Amino acid sequence: MSETAYALDGIRYAYPGSSAPFCLEIDSLKIGAGGMLAFVGPNGSGKTTLLMILALLARPAGGRLKFFGEDPWSGDGRALRARRSAVLLTHHPYLFKGTVFDNVAFGLKVRGISEADWPARIGSTLSLVELSGTEKTAVSWLSAGQAQRVALARALALEPRVLLLDEPTANIESGLALRIESVLQEICRTSGTTVVFSTHNFSQASRMADEILYLSDGRRVPFSHENCFSGTARTDGRQSWIEPRPGHRIVFPGSRTGHITCVINPEDIRLFSPGDPAAGEGPNVFEGRVTRLEMTEADKALVRISGGLTFRASVPLSEIEAKALSLSRHVLVKYEAEAVKIIGAESGPRENAHD
Amino acid sequence: MIVHDLLLALWISLKTSGLAALIASLIAVPAALSLASTEFRGKRAVLLVIQTWMAAPTVVIGLLFYSLLSRSGPLGGFGLLYTQAAMTIGQVFLILPLIVGFSYTALRQVDRRARLTALTLGASRRQAGWVVLREARFALLVAVLAGFARAVSEVGIAMMLGGNIRYATRNITTSIALETAKGEFANGVALGVILLAITLGINALVQVGLRSRD
Repeated sequence: MSETAYALDGIRYAYPGSSAPFCLEIDSLKIGAGGMLAFVGPNGSGKTTLLMILALLARPAGGRLKFFGEDPWSGDGRALRARRSAVLLTHHPYLFKGTVFDNVAFGLKVRGISEADWPARIGSTLSLVELSGTEKTAVSWLSAGQAQRVALARALALEPRVLLLDEPTANIESGLALRIESVLQEICRTSGTTVVFSTHNFSQASRMADEILYLSDGRRVPFSHENCFSGTARTDGRQSWIEPRPGHRIVFPGSRTGHITCVINPEDIRLFSPGDPAAGEGPNVFEGRVTRLEMTEADKALVRISGGLTFRASVPLSEIEAKALSLSRHVLVKYEAEAVKIIGAESGPRENAHD
Repeated sequence: MIVHDLLLALWISLKTSGLAALIASLIAVPAALSLASTEFRGKRAVLLVIQTWMAAPTVVIGLLFYSLLSRSGPLGGFGLLYTQAAMTIGQVFLILPLIVGFSYTALRQVDRRARLTALTLGASRRQAGWVVLREARFALLVAVLAGFARAVSEVGIAMMLGGNIRYATRNITTSIALETAKGEFANGVALGVILLAITLGINALVQVGLRSRD
């Protein structure tokens, strides 16, 4: 039986001074040692707060947390010892004034690791993030992407039992992000490090993680918040559909009936200008207006399109420029029927809904 | 003889004010760190008191400590009145709010992520506090130097608590006051220029020293 890195039971957390009783409520969560878990959810869903709790930087107001079988909050310096086993890489990480070497050495220094070991460990972790030879570079000269990688190297150099990452590939161009993903998977596999990361990117989560935990409004939810629709399915035998709103039909292959919950990966959604013949004629073509544009990676943005239904599409910046996508612009949303993933089904009919 | 008097007054100025800046910094910087990193009820009132205290006239502080240290005062038994120690004590209280105030502003301007990052990397609360101090070191140095400059240039406390005793408590500023009272304005101005030149030299040396270590 594999070891449990974290066991959370009835965890409640409230921001100091907040009028809301709790901003995070996790009834039960177990994270196995040596595994890779992703938290997926929108801004404000509690991903960062949960990572802070796992990093033992925020103490829950209620509930029990065990870290490798021990209660880290039971005194005798246990919290500090546990904190030194679980390193958190924050979103928009901060680099201390000085050089790359100074930064990567920081964690080694506070742990009292012999200075003789620093150069080798720092050199090898910088090489993992493709920044070899930058030891003497002042951090003020680094680009945002390089700074993110230095922060990752600073965490990796500590060889922690648990690596907690808040949006680890934000600000990094997609090619390098993929290489960083494989570095993390390699570390998880070879050194048995438990990796827990948060992401907006459902594809990244499904590519990397053994398990995905969806969060919404500070609670676990059974499915992704993005493009999640439900309704009573009808079928013609060859394909099925739900109508989350009257006249707006989401079509998927196969024969299904009963109450269905489905998601569409934002990366599988394509946008077209109205009247563009490439969009074709349905099914699964909807018209709407762009109501939000949000950068999620160095070269991608999440576009929210609101019409009869609301969709979120992950679109490369180059495409946004080429199609001159801007707020309030009319667009056509299209996805293939095969992109619709059924994540929940009940036999009885229920009321239609969408997020 | 005049040169000897001048050098001694200069030494007394630098010694009493340097010591006052050191003692005040050891109290003020941790206090500012604590103020900057914690939120508590009444914090605004504390900051208001500090800001008001900054404007306290030197003679008021001199008078307060005179009443405490004089023979009939509660601390009269220590026999500190008209000593360099009394001058230093008075100057510590003069510059304490200044260094707390400047340091507080400097520490608040350090990116809040600095402390959090140190904690995420396994630093203890104390080590994380040092990180914040290190990130703000230049601004903190300015706070300490401003405190020293205020102490070395004041005359009210030095006069009331030191008594302007030749070879004992006469410093540059009380010498200037004496020369002015005698009508020797040129001597007063010359002493002022010397004090400024020495202070400039100290500021420059400390700044260069710190930057070369960075």
